[in-house]
Amino acid sequence: MFAFSPTRPSLSPDLLARVRPVSLAKTRTIPLGEPWRALVPEGTLRRGSTVVVEAPVGLGGLSLALSLVSEASTRGHWAGVVGVDDPGVVAMAELGVDLRRVLFVPRPGGAWAESAADLLDGVDLVIVRPPSRPGHQSSRRLMDRVRERGSVLVALSEPRVSWPLPADILFRVTQAEWATSSRLDARYLTVHVSGRGELARGSDHVVIVPNRRGAAEAR
Amino acid sequence: MEQLLAVWVESLALEQPDGSTLRDTIALADALEAMCPFTEVVRLGLFVMPLRGPSRFFGGDDAVLRMVRQCVSDVVGAPTKLGVAEGLFCAELAAHREVLVPRGGSDAFRRAQPLEVLGRKDLATTCRRLGLHTLGAFADLDSARVGERFNKHALILHRVARGELTELDTQRDPKLARRLAQLRGEDDLFDEQQGFFGQRGAEDDRADAAARRVRERLGAEAVVVSNLQGGRGPEDRATLVPWGSPSTVLRDRAPWPGRLSAPSPATTLAHPVPLQLRDEANRPVVLNSRGVLSAAPAAVIFSSPLRREIIWFAGPWPLVERWWSRHRRRAHVQMVLASGEALLVAAESSRWWLVGIYD
Repeated sequence: MFAFSPTRPSLSPDLLARVRPVSLAKTRTIPLGEPWRALVPEGTLRRGSTVVVEAPVGLGGLSLALSLVSEASTRGHWAGVVGVDDPGVVAMAELGVDLRRVLFVPRPGGAWAESAADLLDGVDLVIVRPPSRPGHQSSRRLMDRVRERGSVLVALSEPRVSWPLPADILFRVTQAEWATSSRLDARYLTVHVSGRGELARGSDHVVIVPNRRGAAEAR
Repeated sequence: MEQLLAVWVESLALEQPDGSTLRDTIALADALEAMCPFTEVVRLGLFVMPLRGPSRFFGGDDAVLRMVRQCVSDVVGAPTKLGVAEGLFCAELAAHREVLVPRGGSDAFRRAQPLEVLGRKDLATTCRRLGLHTLGAFADLDSARVGERFNKHALILHRVARGELTELDTQRDPKLARRLAQLRGEDDLFDEQQGFFGQRGAEDDRADAAARRVRERLGAEAVVVSNLQGGRGPEDRATLVPWGSPSTVLRDRAPWPGRLSAPSPATTLAHPVPLQLRDEANRPVVLNSRGVLSAAPAAVIFSSPLRREIIWFAGPWPLVERWWSRHRRRAHVQMVLASGEALLVAAESSRWWLVGIYD
């Protein structure tokens, strides 16, 4: 017969209090930088989630998306940027992105979804700006890939090339206003944050992207 | 496109087991770098450098070629083949054929090459049976036809044949720069690729593998990485280089008086777009030789129907560089349009260019 009991042994209550799971929920997330930490639940991006950044053309969507990556890249996560034709590398450095851990695929053409999927296998965050209107199916496949690989997808959505599927977190820029002195000083973005779960209600926040030093900060 | 001088040293192409090849490569790279700091070791036996700068400095293309040839025979003691053309692919071919392709002639030069230079035997054989003998004939094929006959890799070769890509994925040795640096004892330049305890982390290897896959899909120049260097405008400071090319040291330590201060535009156009600035009375706004605007700009015109109102502008901030040259007067102007977009515009060679978008 069995030398040991086939049922699970019951742990003593004092041991049970000290036992912890092998993989903490904390390791299944990707850190977020300053103004965003306060705006999403637990202040992190859950692995496997898709973030959509929606903004009218030229009103700060790209800066916002790049600033989401900065904290993670300084902590050693790799990031990929697909479909941003002429990335402003200096602006990225000012936002606090560690450029040594960023791979760019500037002009993927029709193969943007495939390139993003390739990168998702190897890097933790991928920013994608589709050059043409993304189809239902390709975006669905990309989001499934993200869930499977445990990475995070940041999709840029502009009026002409809007992201067709609902996201886990949606940042929608509703207003952008420049503060100026003798030069461009800071841009105040009104961002509507919504999404699944705790974010279902949605709320408006004003953040500064970029400020006088080119970084992102809360007002 | 830039004219490149390719230096092919046959005796360094095959690595000897005693390590002499790498030592000679380093010695030769150092000697060539003394002539031109942008010299690059592409793979064993193949060196390239831009021709324009050294040619102006040493007094002509022939002087540079003579000096490089002398340099190779002094350092390595071996004969060399030199060639000049635009783009790495053409430059290497020019070196093997020992020709100097004049500016603008690289297109015709490439189109006249036999198909074997692409390095795929099956493709060359099939095309010859179809009556296509040169790269030009192959390039004229519709890419959809190429795609249905051959595999994905052939599509990349097709783009190289058309001149849309300037190098083959087999030309570069991505590991070589690192090996040379290790041998020099300067491996810390590569510390960005190392993990927390100094070794390369698993994350870095995964990212490398992903980059390699995208490269196989889209061609050798599809994946780029960035570096910051010294410079005044954001368009000067950023460099995007193909992934796998030797990394340059971050040299952003010197002060750059007149540098444009933060924030910088999130889109920095690699190829600035020409535009026109107009004042209230719809007259063109120009930057005069003292660096002052002729009138306050009121509208920006990208192409004739596309006219956007300017609600705020600042500048011009002149970039005082090469003041001895009257043609190089540069100045930056920041502006906010009525639609809320902010742009960075530069004046250069008496025209206005869109260099950045704060998007």
